[in-house]
Amino acid sequence: MEPKNLPIDQVLVVLRERAKELNCLYQVEEVLAGEEVPLPGIFNALIRTIPSGWQYPDICRARIVYRDQSYQDEDYVPTAWRDSAEIREEDELVGSLEVSYTREVPGVDDGFFLLKERKLIKTIADRIGQTIFHRKLKRLLHEWETASRDLAEKKNREWMVITELVRRTDEKLYLHISRKMIYYLFWNGVGEARQFLGKFGGEFVKNEPEPEFDANSPSFKQSREKLIEISDQVFSIAARNLSDNEILQCLQKWIHENKISFLIKTIDSGGTALSAIIDAILRYRAIAGDRMVLAPSTEKWLRVSLIRRFFSDTIEFINIAKRHLEVSDFFDLVTRIIFHAGSNGKLGGKSSGLLLARHILLKQPDEEGLFAGIKVPRTWYITADSISEFLRHNDLEDINEQKYKDPEQVRIDYPNIIQLFKNSHFSSEIVKGLSMALDDFGDKPIIVRSSSLLEDRVGTAFSGKYKSLFLANQGPKQKRLSALLDAIAEVYASVFGPDPIIYRAEQGLLDLHEEMGIMIQEVVGTRVGPYFFPAFAGIAFSNNEFRWSPRLRREDGLIRMVPGMGTRAVDRVSNDYPVLVSPGQPALRVNVSPDEIRHYSPSWIDVINLETNCFETISVIDLLRTYGEEIPAVHQIVSIYRDGHISRPSGFDIDFKSGDLLVTFEGIITRTTFIRRVRSILTALENGFGMPVDIEFASDGVDFYLLQCRPQNTGEDSAPSPIPRDIPEDRTLFTARRYISGGRVPDITHVVWVNPRKYGEMESLEMLTDVGRAIGRLNAVLPKRQFILMGPGRWGSRGDIKLGVQVSYSDINNTAVLIEISMKRGTYSPELSFGTHFFQDLAETGIRYIPLYPDDRDVVYNELFFTGSRNMLPDILPEYAHIADTLKVIDIPGRMGGKILKILLNAELGESIGYFDEPEAAAESSIVRPRPHEAHGEEYWRWRLHMAEQIAGQVDASRFGVRAVYLIGSTANATAGPDSDIDLLFHVDGTREQREALSVWLEGWSLSLSEMNYLRTGYRSHGLLDVHMVTDRDIENRTSFAVKINAVTDPARPLSMKRPAS
Amino acid sequence: MESKSYNPFNMAQAQFDKVAEMLDLEAGVRDLLREPMREYHFTIPVRMDDGAVRVFKGFRVQHNDARGPAKGGIRFHPLETIDMVRALSMWMTWKCSVVDIPLGGGKGGVVCDPHHLSAREQEQICRGWVRQIARNVGPVQDVPAPDVMTNSQHMLWMLDEYETIHNGRFPGFITGKPVGMGGSLGRTEATGYGLIYTLREALKEHEVDISRTSASVQGFGNVAQHAIRLYDHLGGKVVAIACWDQSDKTSYTFRKKGGIDLKELLDITDKFGGIDKNKARDSGYEVLPGDAWLEQEVDILIPAALENQINRDNAGKINPRVRFIAEGANGPTTPEADEVIKKNGIFVIPDFLANAGGVTCSYFEQVQCNMNYFWEKQDVLDKLDSKMTSAFSAVSELAKRKKLYMRDAAYVIAIDRVAQAVKARSWV
Repeated sequence: MEPKNLPIDQVLVVLRERAKELNCLYQVEEVLAGEEVPLPGIFNALIRTIPSGWQYPDICRARIVYRDQSYQDEDYVPTAWRDSAEIREEDELVGSLEVSYTREVPGVDDGFFLLKERKLIKTIADRIGQTIFHRKLKRLLHEWETASRDLAEKKNREWMVITELVRRTDEKLYLHISRKMIYYLFWNGVGEARQFLGKFGGEFVKNEPEPEFDANSPSFKQSREKLIEISDQVFSIAARNLSDNEILQCLQKWIHENKISFLIKTIDSGGTALSAIIDAILRYRAIAGDRMVLAPSTEKWLRVSLIRRFFSDTIEFINIAKRHLEVSDFFDLVTRIIFHAGSNGKLGGKSSGLLLARHILLKQPDEEGLFAGIKVPRTWYITADSISEFLRHNDLEDINEQKYKDPEQVRIDYPNIIQLFKNSHFSSEIVKGLSMALDDFGDKPIIVRSSSLLEDRVGTAFSGKYKSLFLANQGPKQKRLSALLDAIAEVYASVFGPDPIIYRAEQGLLDLHEEMGIMIQEVVGTRVGPYFFPAFAGIAFSNNEFRWSPRLRREDGLIRMVPGMGTRAVDRVSNDYPVLVSPGQPALRVNVSPDEIRHYSPSWIDVINLETNCFETISVIDLLRTYGEEIPAVHQIVSIYRDGHISRPSGFDIDFKSGDLLVTFEGIITRTTFIRRVRSILTALENGFGMPVDIEFASDGVDFYLLQCRPQNTGEDSAPSPIPRDIPEDRTLFTARRYISGGRVPDITHVVWVNPRKYGEMESLEMLTDVGRAIGRLNAVLPKRQFILMGPGRWGSRGDIKLGVQVSYSDINNTAVLIEISMKRGTYSPELSFGTHFFQDLAETGIRYIPLYPDDRDVVYNELFFTGSRNMLPDILPEYAHIADTLKVIDIPGRMGGKILKILLNAELGESIGYFDEPEAAAESSIVRPRPHEAHGEEYWRWRLHMAEQIAGQVDASRFGVRAVYLIGSTANATAGPDSDIDLLFHVDGTREQREALSVWLEGWSLSLSEMNYLRTGYRSHGLLDVHMVTDRDIENRTSFAVKINAVTDPARPLSMKRPAS
Repeated sequence: MESKSYNPFNMAQAQFDKVAEMLDLEAGVRDLLREPMREYHFTIPVRMDDGAVRVFKGFRVQHNDARGPAKGGIRFHPLETIDMVRALSMWMTWKCSVVDIPLGGGKGGVVCDPHHLSAREQEQICRGWVRQIARNVGPVQDVPAPDVMTNSQHMLWMLDEYETIHNGRFPGFITGKPVGMGGSLGRTEATGYGLIYTLREALKEHEVDISRTSASVQGFGNVAQHAIRLYDHLGGKVVAIACWDQSDKTSYTFRKKGGIDLKELLDITDKFGGIDKNKARDSGYEVLPGDAWLEQEVDILIPAALENQINRDNAGKINPRVRFIAEGANGPTTPEADEVIKKNGIFVIPDFLANAGGVTCSYFEQVQCNMNYFWEKQDVLDKLDSKMTSAFSAVSELAKRKKLYMRDAAYVIAIDRVAQAVKARSWV
């Protein structure tokens, strides 16, 4: 800043200098503006102009250095009196501008140059830099314009831009797409292309570039150049023959595909190892992310390949799966598969079903938010062929012969096989994989489930045949790992167990190659005290085969739910009941009165005990009393029973200690979206699979988990039977068309028929009650599950006896089918009970229910058979001969010449028929193996009964002094288990020696039977007979077991002997 | 319908006729009492959950209300049973009369099966029933109660509808309500205790010290458990209990000669009323076949399970020591067995009287409701005691005086009281 009051001449000096600088600047600008002049010319002009701006122009010289080139006067010499500034092009230092005085000049300010001059030089240098940059840009723009003009001359095709781009940036890809283009042209019949291929085709193929790596050898490079040339020609041909759009699309497709070509190649080749596939998929995920970068057809093909690879080759499954699964759905899956080197990847039926179900649900439109919260527990998979690898690894291949051996042999071998497997080793890849899995699971309990290849065939019910094992999974990692390996070994061993082998033999599946995948799934639940269990769990069916009301339709479905683990809902358990609800009509309950609700509510709960590492069954009441409040969702699970009234608990306080609490799930059913959600799931899955399904679910009180999903091929006992159409009327006993469930009962030998008309006409209360009592006796005496009960409606009514036969469940529990006949009274048909009085008992034991409406058109009711057949009642129960008019027992083989009655039910057609036919063959084999249609556990007592009959039939009465033989105990009651004794009662009247001889004789039997039992069931015992002997005196005095003979309830059952005692 | 077939109403009338003969009632009285005085039949339209409308048939039979408002249950049952209902309404009259509570007899119902109805639909039926009959029932006219396939929830719906129609709170309109909503305390114990009150009186009359008696009980449900508790408390010793085993589907008798321990057994009883036989065995009980209860060497038999348990097949097996039978169940003894029992001179407290504790407590519920004041449980039980005692004395005294079998004496007293009432009102 200059002081204001300067002398005028100084001001003039300053002004003059300013004018000079400005002038200089103008001139510099003029020079720089000369666009046509090349840079050197500009610089030269500049060095002449610049000095004019300085104080002493005539001794001032300038120099410009640009990119190592120097522009200056010949006599330029840098002196001590100089200044310089940098020339920068954008940010790059490209040169400098220098100004110096040739002679010494007086100093000013702090140097030799005025401040303004210093600024000036910088300014000029900047301007020079900008100008240089500006010129460069202009040049580029010019170039580009030229290029575009060129392209415009070539009619400006978009795809050409692409090919140009590719050509410049990725030669390999360029060659690839050009090759594809020529083939494409060839396929489209372009003549030029054919010639072209002929000319250069060989070279093309011969020199195909490797996609994986760069070869830098010169010779390769050379032929590459040639190929590029060829490729250019290809595109010219294309340009001439195809539309722009077509070419563009092709290019896009091929370029995209190229990106994932690795994936396609890997998947498609059948022999590729699983690890390679998994790597490929993960790479693809990294590349593609969530966007779909594939053409639809490619994507579909890829999907199907993946489905075939991991899930199943069966066309039915593929058809369903390909509609619902996407490639991205496999991403998560592949990170959780454990496999050995060389595995082909199939996971087995159970895994497939679950995954498919999950993805079907994820893709549902979800307005109500019902699908959003559905979870699937963390699951790891072991491929199905790992079992073969396991066998191979341990040199155990000959185990595969087991399936062709005798059932007995299989049973003997089986425990050894289990031990053998447990002591064998897994390959290190599997162990590593499992270790990773355990890290993922942490220390939550897990379940090891089988997932066999044969399980995914529609129509086979392998449920329960292979093992599932629960592991508490607590403790140090090593311990958990060895427990897991142990469990897997055991599941593997179960493939070679007698039950599955027998089942497969029966189904004709023995020769199919069976491999077993493993699903390791986290158990849903929370910890309460020492126990771990879900709040509730169960199984839901699309079709309800056990309808308790005519208002229920089959499509309304069925849910069986229990507190704790779902094992008690999936299997039928004796003496305990799940809660039944129909999702389509949740308001129609099985049990309506408080007593019924109480009677049929679950008493037991399955849990995992984390402290003892065991799977346990404990009492619900005990659990509630001890841990009440801690149980998740307990307020929605229980109801309170007080004074004959059931109410939901107030949310606030429940008296766990002394209240009478029942598990009813009332809160869950009425106050949450659970029912609607299950219904939506079942509907969605049924639509997705194209057939009814059943699902296993569990909840930890907060979230809903889907555990399993499979087609509802139904249990063996409710599969629809084909209804034969050609049975003549005289061999038909009845047909029915309303409210039919499924199943078949093929071997009825007796019919107990209550004449509906006569029953209604009975004169006294005594006689009516006698009917009920007689039926109770018949129930104990007739061969179990080989007789049926038929009578007027409402069996089991309490109260008005005229309304129905007065029986309780125990009076009818041995029947195979309960048939209620509704006959018109005047103008209306009485409503049948559908067995509601003991519905859940019927359901749990598999007793079928059929309502008959003989007055309907188109149904057959062979009344003549009933009225015309001989009544066995007076023979069996002489004390009830007086009601023989009303109550009839008909011996079918006797009446129909050896034929028996078969009842077939087909729920889908809604038809049922009972007709007479020859008995099915293989009567003896049923002694050895359980009958397929029987409820679990039937085979034990049947076999024991058979044996008892053998003993009785063979005992030498005179030798041993035996008057009569009776059967008592669990075999007589048909409740024998695999480890039960056979209780025999001998009425003897001989000498002591005879008694001893009899004992010895029986001991021999007992030991043999014990061995046979072991072969059949694996249970060991010391003797299977429990023998009691009574004398005449005992009988007279009715002491000890003699009282059972001719007892009113639970009587001893007489067995027929060879010869009657004298 | 069919003329000769079993008709419960005819049976009830025949029973009445026999007693009327004994009482030598005038023809007019007989004609009046052997028929129900009023019967209402009506239709109840209900909109079902699926939108369709179903029309249900409802009815109420009031047999006789000379002694007080009619009392009797409402049942839901799918078959038309008007004869049964008539018979039951008649029996209600006699029952209320024998225990000397100021009520008449009635019965009603709706033809439906609640198993095939949703809760909402059942509610509609209950309310519909009340709407149809609201003019003719009420706390001072006809007091319904729960019966076959109805429960306290139905009672509450009906009460609510009644109160809406009549604009007030009338808890005394209907009984069987839960405690806290108008129900009476002591209801659960009432039948069992009532049974023992009568037994106690019977023993007193026969000068038997209750604390030196032993009993055998059939059944282990509500009635049996409370009866045993009170009997124990009074000093008696229960030696055997027969109950049903759910898993074995048969009954067993559990015997401990020194006397059973009720608490111990309750601890091992499941919710079905079945005693765990293994645990019982471990605790020192003998496990005998189910029928053995009848044959025990005890003084008293208490059948408190099902009907027809003592019949011609087993009546002969009753131990000669048995001197008393207190019928806790309904109809546990068949007429043939009755003959055998009579012959052996066993004193029977008939079911009619012995298990009237329930209906008495029902009456108490009504009383408390009408006062809108609810008693403590002990008050209820004390009042029950005095009622049952006086009822028993009246019957027993008549039986002694007129040398009647107890069962007959009970009927005689019941019918006589009603006859007196209708005459007092100059209806006949």
